[in-house]
Amino acid sequence: MTTQTQTRVLTCIQCGKCTGSCPESGRTPFNIRMLMRKKQFQSGIEESIPWYCTSCGACTIRCPRDVKPSEVIIEMRSAFVEDGEIPVAIQKALENTFVQKNPWGRSRAKRGAWSEKMEIEIPHVSETQSKRLLFTCCIQAYDPRCMVIPVNVATILNKGGVEFGVLGEEEACCGNEIRRIGESGLFEELQEENKAAFEEYGVKEIIALSPHCMNTLKKEYGDLGIKISHYSEIVAAMIKEGSIVPKEPYNKKVIYHDPCFLGKQNNIFDEPRSILNAIEGLELLEYSRSRENSMCCEGGGGRMFFEVEATYQRNAEVRVQEAVDKGAEEIVTSCPFCVMTLEDPATEKGIKVKELSEILMEVL
Amino acid sequence: MSYALVVAEVRRGVFEERNLDSIGICALLGQDSILLVPEGDYAVSEQLVNGLIRAKAEEAVVLNPLNMVNILEKVMAARGKPDVIVFTNSASGTELASYAAGYFNLPVITDVNSYDKEQGIFYKSYYSDKIFGEFRPSGEGTFIVTVRSGSFREFAVDKGSAPSVETIEDVTVNAARTFVEYVEEEKTDVDITKADFLLSVGRGVGNKDEIPDYEELAGLLKAVISGSRPVIDKLWLPKARQVGTSGKTVKPKVYLAMGISGAFQHIAGMKDSDCIIAVNKDPEAPIFQYAHYGIIADIHKVRDKLKDILKA
Amino acid sequence: MNLIVFTKRVPATQEEELRITGEGKAVDLSKVPFKVNDWDNYSVEEAVRIVEKTGGAVTAVSIGDAESDEVLRRAIAMGAKDGFLVETGDVLHDPNARATLIQNFLKKENVPFDAIFTGVQSEDDQFGAVGGILAAKMGLPFVSMVIGIDAFESDHVIARRELEGGLQERVKVMLPCVISIQTGINEPRYVSIMGVRKASKVERKVFKAADYQENVVSKIEAVKWVYPPKKTGATILSGELDGACKELLGILKEKGVYQ
Repeated sequence: MTTQTQTRVLTCIQCGKCTGSCPESGRTPFNIRMLMRKKQFQSGIEESIPWYCTSCGACTIRCPRDVKPSEVIIEMRSAFVEDGEIPVAIQKALENTFVQKNPWGRSRAKRGAWSEKMEIEIPHVSETQSKRLLFTCCIQAYDPRCMVIPVNVATILNKGGVEFGVLGEEEACCGNEIRRIGESGLFEELQEENKAAFEEYGVKEIIALSPHCMNTLKKEYGDLGIKISHYSEIVAAMIKEGSIVPKEPYNKKVIYHDPCFLGKQNNIFDEPRSILNAIEGLELLEYSRSRENSMCCEGGGGRMFFEVEATYQRNAEVRVQEAVDKGAEEIVTSCPFCVMTLEDPATEKGIKVKELSEILMEVL
Repeated sequence: MSYALVVAEVRRGVFEERNLDSIGICALLGQDSILLVPEGDYAVSEQLVNGLIRAKAEEAVVLNPLNMVNILEKVMAARGKPDVIVFTNSASGTELASYAAGYFNLPVITDVNSYDKEQGIFYKSYYSDKIFGEFRPSGEGTFIVTVRSGSFREFAVDKGSAPSVETIEDVTVNAARTFVEYVEEEKTDVDITKADFLLSVGRGVGNKDEIPDYEELAGLLKAVISGSRPVIDKLWLPKARQVGTSGKTVKPKVYLAMGISGAFQHIAGMKDSDCIIAVNKDPEAPIFQYAHYGIIADIHKVRDKLKDILKA
Repeated sequence: MNLIVFTKRVPATQEEELRITGEGKAVDLSKVPFKVNDWDNYSVEEAVRIVEKTGGAVTAVSIGDAESDEVLRRAIAMGAKDGFLVETGDVLHDPNARATLIQNFLKKENVPFDAIFTGVQSEDDQFGAVGGILAAKMGLPFVSMVIGIDAFESDHVIARRELEGGLQERVKVMLPCVISIQTGINEPRYVSIMGVRKASKVERKVFKAADYQENVVSKIEAVKWVYPPKKTGATILSGELDGACKELLGILKEKGVYQ
């Protein structure tokens, strides 16, 4: 039985554009061009190699032959998953997701806890008129550092009069990372569960807090007949219409880091920038590699749950160094994984990492 | 005459400290404690119990459940049935207790952590230690308990006089299970998941040059050194020592975290440790939410002070 | 080698806040997700690995409600040949009762075995006694806390037991016997959702616990369920550095990790 990806690799001309774009190449044993070659010849692949991929998508975007190397990687991982031969940390993330519907294994019952502590009441999406759903995302539901993001965005939407609701504990992991890890069976289950909830409550629109969630809901859940956007798109529009107004100044030099899943994979570059540019006093700096060329923070593709064997200078460190060299006081980004991966090296260099909503909350 | 039979755990010539918990519960049960011990040269504070039964068999024989039940048969034949048989809740204690329960058809409650005298109720943990079950043996007759280490030892008091002594001879040795040898943990391979005491260092350590001093402290405390992800990423400690979601999950008796802020992914790897002690100069560090004890201070200063005290 | 492995479906309570209802009568597990008992997962993996080497078959048995079929499918996905469900109504807390039920079942159904594997304990009741009770009742030798099986010969097993403080003891046990498996003995393979779906094609035989009730009697009673004493936040050791450090050492001594 030939799979789609198996036939696609046969069109690969080994041009090396993929490896040239890959954030892992040159510093780790991961060489995507070579992997495509091996797949062409159906040679064996060392089991640790496919796990380096961060799912940034650069290879697939740039490939002149539409080989879709990122999909081939997922297929390779699938084979290991079905054999049961995967790193323990990945196993744990998958098993946690199966039991508690989030890879951290935190209690499903507490998924909506962030909204309960707020002063404004966050309704269940079924109780709203607009049937507009704010899709929280696992890391933002449970991680103390990221929990501020849904709180912020909920506050901002509320301020601007945008009605929305949540699913609370009925929300399951979107499955973006799960699919990229190669557990297609589990991805299907998550997808079914979420889809059933969307249908049951007549969800008409989804605002995703994480670009990863947005990506899979928009592109991998099939035709839901639901409008799906990242919150930055909504907030940028709100500022444009004047329903929220950044009043306070923010006199800092801030450099914006384009997340892969928001930027290069979904072409959302301008909205976060328009939000930042609407803030008085904020001097927006750009990385030398920005927008489509943005450097992957290495948080995707399962890398949040799993540490690769090779030790090398992480992209996050390089990013932080450049921010410091350019004189930035803060790095701002609009993806929770980027926030987490950049924050470690940033704290060391004495520079802060802010999520977009955190800056907004200070100026509205 | 009612009595509580305490089956002592003696291993490699050491009368294990957790036996004190077994002796302690007898006081709460209002029973005379009769301690069953193997042959051998080891120290035991005999005055903590009312009676001593020396089984004429070496440790390895006595620790074997197949032989233990025969010894218990002999004890009961000589002394009559005890009201309760107490074992330690340890690898061997639970093994012996469960086998004896099956052999003699007796009720058994394991891992007892407290006892209510008034109601005659034993407390035991359920559901990841989130709930306590109140248990009682149904009906009369001998029953078996294993006691959690550290739960009752304050009740083990000196009786003020030497205990009565009996011996059990002719212990039958069952060939269906035999002791081969002890195997020590290999010192070269560090498995932090097996350590009872971890001294874990985080980003707060500052730089690589400080690590040897922390290793020295770990040595003095007989702790195994481990670290959070930033420390491993920088190669200050090897990967095998990483605690966290992408490292190892540990549940030591004591987790001493120095200079670790308590990032979510780290906490996930150690939050079930019995006792978490955090040292950090930031009072807002999230780790203090998970720790049982904390010191808000510069970790280098704490390290140096501890070393001074230990070396004195 | 014919190996019987017991596997249990347990509530995943690690992360949950549990509620006691009816003034201590019951614990509300209605919203708690369920999973395979961690120890049993290692146990199934170990049995499958042994049989992969020696030939023979692994039979997975679960004592529980109808939903326990889940853990049997999982065991089959890992390599067990058969799955038997002994369906119970109410939960049997008492390890004596459970062991007797198992003994009756194995005898009546004449399930052949060279060894019986159990997990050291289950995550829900944490009793850790069924294996030992079963072995004694069946007149079989018993070895618990097994962290490594060094040899599995036709008539005996050489196993290593995990003791405290990193020490292990090696013992020789004649077959047939009962072995309780400790976590960490191996690295269990991952079972994918598709793998479990495939396993669903293998028939799991269902038996009724009611047919094996001879002498199944609870020897202990669960009087009530209560919450453990509340833990407060971190106790900060304050004051002078010297004092705080000495207090710290005192805590270490109390916990038994430092003498």
